[in-house]
Amino acid sequence: MTALIEARGVSKRFRQHKRFPGLLGAFKTLVTSEYTEVAAVSDISFDIAAGEAVGYLGPNGAGKSTMIKMMTGILVPSGGALSVLGRTPHLQRMDNAREIGVVFGQRSQLWWDLPVIDSFTLHRRIYDIPEARYADNLKRFSELLDLTPFLDRAVRQLSLGQRMRAEIVMSLLHDPKILFLDEPTIGLDVVAKDAVRKFLAEINRERGVTIILTTHDLVDIEEICPRLIMVDHSRLIFDGELSRLRSALGSARRLTLEFTADPGPLPLTSATLTADEGLRKHYLLESDDISLVTILSEVGSDRGLKDVALHEPDIEEVIRTFYQRRNAAAAVAG
Amino acid sequence: MKAYIAFARSGFLSSLAYRNEVWANIFGKLVQVFARVAIWLAAYAGMTAVDGISIQDMVTYALLGGVVMGATRHDRLVRQVGNALKTGDVAVWLLKPVHYPLYLLAVEAGMSVYTFLLAVVPTIIIVALVYGMLPPASPFHAAMFVAFCGLSFTIHFLVAALFGVLAFWLMTIFSLEWLLQSLIVLLSGLLVPFWFFPEPFGTIASHQPMAWLVYYPSAVWLGRLDALETSVYFAFGLGWASLLAFALALLWRRASSRITVQGG
Repeated sequence: MTALIEARGVSKRFRQHKRFPGLLGAFKTLVTSEYTEVAAVSDISFDIAAGEAVGYLGPNGAGKSTMIKMMTGILVPSGGALSVLGRTPHLQRMDNAREIGVVFGQRSQLWWDLPVIDSFTLHRRIYDIPEARYADNLKRFSELLDLTPFLDRAVRQLSLGQRMRAEIVMSLLHDPKILFLDEPTIGLDVVAKDAVRKFLAEINRERGVTIILTTHDLVDIEEICPRLIMVDHSRLIFDGELSRLRSALGSARRLTLEFTADPGPLPLTSATLTADEGLRKHYLLESDDISLVTILSEVGSDRGLKDVALHEPDIEEVIRTFYQRRNAAAAVAG
Repeated sequence: MKAYIAFARSGFLSSLAYRNEVWANIFGKLVQVFARVAIWLAAYAGMTAVDGISIQDMVTYALLGGVVMGATRHDRLVRQVGNALKTGDVAVWLLKPVHYPLYLLAVEAGMSVYTFLLAVVPTIIIVALVYGMLPPASPFHAAMFVAFCGLSFTIHFLVAALFGVLAFWLMTIFSLEWLLQSLIVLLSGLLVPFWFFPEPFGTIASHQPMAWLVYYPSAVWLGRLDALETSVYFAFGLGWASLLAFALALLWRRASSRITVQGG
């Protein structure tokens, strides 16, 4: 299986006109032509196969949207090679556009003054979708996302959740092979988020539409995307299955031992004591190789051990630890 | 092509969405046309002809200005193009397999047809009933008037879209909108026909592209140009339109590639 999307060392640098602060600075800005270069994407490589669902995760300004815009052909990479469906997106933007669907959470593609259904009809004309297939898709997607009650209403009268659902349906009407979503759940309430996630997961599973979505929200990724690409400060820091993220980023498991009577200080060689509450002691397991059995045999059976709890860190915690460590490292280096 | 017809239709329909604007439009147009007619009645001050131009000619000219220029809203176009480029909303259009300038042309055509039918025609009928209006000079002139109206719309669109694209580099959209507004009032012949301009300004004014907005269509209706002149000036206007279209395509490419290369 060849890759649908191939990124090889893709970079994007933006040139920003340098601005000087203050009143005098404002005049200086007028006459100088100094630029600062900002790297939004640096040397990123990955392959995405047909039918995959990939979550593209990272904090604000990590270069997620920039990457999406390059893959859709509306931004030109400054370096590296990018191929989508065998084409160079920005050189064959129109051909590319016919085979992809794009949803921007922050930017509407529906016609503001027209009823939702009119936007869909226009979309049908733009992409030249055969009548039968259009009717079929419209019916199915509208049912799945419960669009029917507001199809006749003008877009400007819709709630954000309704609008977002309409945006997603429109982006799929022409049966795109790849669907790009840039923060599709941003600003939605819990119910709407849930509906969108279920729908996307189903589209991916049943229609085999390849999905690439950027988000801040880990739940989006947990529910839709088996694969995760994580970026930070324009660089790729993780690419793989969600379940592998913990070991890759090396976040420790936490262990809590509860006793019937306080055994006193209890240092262990296999785990680090982090907090001692007397009856309850907390440890950190730095290595993945240490099994619970090793620890329990070290504690011994005569200490009045009542209960054992092992906490696998959730992704959010893993990522938080990762950023904290990075910031600490930066502080030391700086 | 099907897509652009659909766009024109949507332009027509989305105008319908704002029904109050219809009445505001008719009222605004009535005031404008009445004012222009009143100015000429006052300027003629009871004389039947000035420099060989009769007062009937002038009243008809004032009405025709409303017909040709009344439907297209250059301010809206400048704002739309300018905003799309400045805010980066144009990205949404770059994602679709359509050409944005052609899309705008189609939508504007749809909206213009709407304004023409629902605001311009009623206005002209009312004013013509009050002041009287001369018929076209001949069937040939009548047919050519329609052709000139099409040309007028095209040049009008191109000039406005060009100003919108310029907003990307030059200044605020608002100031360009005002600049264009005053240029059009003066250079289209809407306010004063060029035959009243002192030389050499008359000659200069009648050869720049905006002359085709109001001056030539009206002059053709009134029969001020003979058959040969009419055809020559039509070709001349087509030349201007192609030049403007070329300039728009060039600047549009520049602006959109700057967005795609530098991220706006």
